[in-house]
Amino acid sequence: MKSPDKSQISRRSFLQITAGAAALTGLALPQTAKAAAGERLSTLIDLSLCDGCVGREIPACVSACKSINKNKIPAVADPIPEPWPRKAIEDWSQKRSVTDRLTPYNFIYVQKVTINDDSTQKTFFIPRRCMHCDNPPCATICPFSANHKNKNAAVVINQNQCFGGAKCRDVCPWEIPQRQSGVGIYLHVLPGFMGNGVMYKCDLCNERLEQGQLPGCIEACPRQALLIGPKEVIEKEADSRAAKMKGYIYGKEENGGTATLYVSPVSFEKLNAAMVEKPGEPDMQTNIKRRMKKTDPLGKAVLASPVLGLAAAGVLGWFSKRQESLKEEKKDSV
Amino acid sequence: MSEKILAEKNLIVRHRTIELVEHWAIAISGLLLLVTGIFELPVAKRYYIIEVPGLGWSADFITSLYIHYAAALVFTVAGIFHLVYHGLRGEYGLIPRKGDLGASVVVIKSLFGFGKEPPMHKYLPEQRLAYVGMAVIMIMLIVSGLVKTYKNIYAPDMSLPVVLTATWAHNIFFILFFLAFLAHMGAIALRPNWPMVRGIFTGRVRLDYARHRHSLWVEEIEKAEPHLPDVTEPEDTPAPSAVNDENNPDSTLAQTPDTGSHGEQMDHGTRGQNNSEDEKERHT
Repeated sequence: MKSPDKSQISRRSFLQITAGAAALTGLALPQTAKAAAGERLSTLIDLSLCDGCVGREIPACVSACKSINKNKIPAVADPIPEPWPRKAIEDWSQKRSVTDRLTPYNFIYVQKVTINDDSTQKTFFIPRRCMHCDNPPCATICPFSANHKNKNAAVVINQNQCFGGAKCRDVCPWEIPQRQSGVGIYLHVLPGFMGNGVMYKCDLCNERLEQGQLPGCIEACPRQALLIGPKEVIEKEADSRAAKMKGYIYGKEENGGTATLYVSPVSFEKLNAAMVEKPGEPDMQTNIKRRMKKTDPLGKAVLASPVLGLAAAGVLGWFSKRQESLKEEKKDSV
Repeated sequence: MSEKILAEKNLIVRHRTIELVEHWAIAISGLLLLVTGIFELPVAKRYYIIEVPGLGWSADFITSLYIHYAAALVFTVAGIFHLVYHGLRGEYGLIPRKGDLGASVVVIKSLFGFGKEPPMHKYLPEQRLAYVGMAVIMIMLIVSGLVKTYKNIYAPDMSLPVVLTATWAHNIFFILFFLAFLAHMGAIALRPNWPMVRGIFTGRVRLDYARHRHSLWVEEIEKAEPHLPDVTEPEDTPAPSAVNDENNPDSTLAQTPDTGSHGEQMDHGTRGQNNSEDEKERHT
């Protein structure tokens, strides 16, 4: 990563997007906003602006994402090795054109939700992708650290290190990562007994960010419903927009906080109630707690354990030596 | 209770209580760490482990993490305690010394019927080597585990090279720890070592076994306490002449060896050290 380029281009890109947003919404974003090298970023998805790209065959964000990532997955083994003993192969290589759910070949899709609000039907279009959590369990719990949270907030799976065990999907509250069997390093180790492909998901176009470009979905959105910028700026913007529309924010607290803030004029409880969770089609349950948070106190005790061991050894060592010297003194006096 | 002969009961005290506590704290927590470490891999569903009665939780990575953390707490405290406590007391009897490698070959060959088993001291030279190997494995697991734990709680965006180094060190030494555990179990399975098993539970082994197999060790204790064949208060015995001098490699070697079992190895550090401690007492 070249910091100067990144800093320069990121600033320009961010200002571009803020100017666009300001023009569209009539809001002004802080002019100091810039995404310097390593700066923590966040994204905003304004549901009052997203119209699902009515009239287009595929929403612009989805189309851009697919275009950018079209060659990401290498050729799939034929035949795909059958895992043992549970024979669960997940192969999307023949269904690459699917755009209405998350798949290994589709990292973002637009969910259409219709609700009854004050006796009127309202339809919302919700772009869904990885939330890029602040402390992502998918990354912290990956046994091979193939999944990593970057300083800029992007949670990125390294497809060359991933074994496709789908542990990340199990611990993700939204079950975002999707598996493609028949690709990846597991083919070169013990394909029948260990691993089952590679997990894929949105990486916030991390490579593009490093080159000073915007994520494809954000760049392509014709209504600037998607924004990216420094975390503090985006959070303020989300608060501001929510206040103006007397609306709601999703993603700020969920799973311990994320780098994706949805702003909506209707509550996410209502939106979630109208959703049906299916594989690759997550719902939007509110108040999702970060499960690993409950393990933190015990983890902190582990971090303190060397000191505990030292203290115990010091105290008992001193005590036993003192006992010995007392015995010696006693014997000497005898 | 220090090493001593209980002739009336046909027993000899081999391990102090604190050493038994160290051994079992490390053994039980280590076993839990092994199991929950395996469950941190996505194997429980795939291999139907969750179908085993009582293991329904095995596919829940967060539950496994709870147990892993709890066991890591005990493991780390016990491991650090062991090193520092015996280090502070100057008990270095289990540090390998010149000649251990060759001596180990002779003893191991004898275990498999090749050649005659030489007269034994308390521990075998290969146990000193194995002890150091296990210490290195444990230290690497602890250090890499601490880095991973810190990352989990405070720094999910920690430098990737650091995270990868810690992760792979943890994974590789996890495999070595598992192999060391199997070797430990293998050593226990060897018939000549069977009588030692009770020692790691009760701290005592049969005196007739010790006389037969660890004759040099028994002789040392008897030399140290010539007038007390059934010693109950070794601390009060008058100072004997030269027994085990911890600064004398030969005499320390005399304190060490034995079963080759890993549980014993955990004790070794302590054990060779204990002898030194006993010596100090006897010299008083």
